[in-house]
Amino acid sequence: MQIRVLAFATAADVIGKEPVEIDLEAGATVDSLGASLCQQFPALEPIWPRLAVAVDGEVVRGSRTLEADAEVALLPPVSGGSIVRDARP
Amino acid sequence: MTEGHASPVRASLTEGPIDTAAATDAVAGATCGAVVVFLGNVRNHHGGRTVTELAYSAYRPMAQARLEQIVTELEGAATGLRVAIVHRLGVVPIGEASVVIAVASPHRQAAYEASRTALERLKREVPIWKRETYDDGSATWREEEALAPA
Repeated sequence: MQIRVLAFATAADVIGKEPVEIDLEAGATVDSLGASLCQQFPALEPIWPRLAVAVDGEVVRGSRTLEADAEVALLPPVSGGSIVRDARP
Repeated sequence: MTEGHASPVRASLTEGPIDTAAATDAVAGATCGAVVVFLGNVRNHHGGRTVTELAYSAYRPMAQARLEQIVTELEGAATGLRVAIVHRLGVVPIGEASVVIAVASPHRQAAYEASRTALERLKREVPIWKRETYDDGSATWREEEALAPA
């Protein structure tokens, strides 16, 4: 299935400002998306643990299963801290 | 009563200069004895370095939704309180406002408190990032450390 990934700030410096299409197996999770992205963009690996991940506008945990055609956004910490808050495991 | 003069600026993102008067007008009314207006201006220094330019980018649909959520929750928590938050995106020159928060309330204490809470929530919860450019030509995204996992 195709997943559309948007990146911002430091994450956009690595993967670009334009959406990236990633092909994943059905049932893939946010964590497995992260593994695929870090393989494709090695410079993302040190940043990944700091990112919040939003699926269709909602911050989710790494164990969240992705649906086909989901829009995933990679959100670095904002100036007042991490918008991740307790969403990541 | 001037209830119900809903305004499009109550939670908004804009590319150009922020219209502070419009934000104030959006919340002020005959029931409100206090209006607190906060301007977050771009300053020319950070951490001992000279800042020449600040640029903001956002994940717009989520930023808009979270701004609206902050406005709705603050208004729901205090009787008669009205809140407008406007954030500017793109390059913001030194000395100009990147954010304006206008709060109107029957009494001043609630207005001061809501103004502060709105800014602190904005900085923690809304996906807007700022990139600082310095006088030596270098630039960096301003990020604080992520919170430790719960």
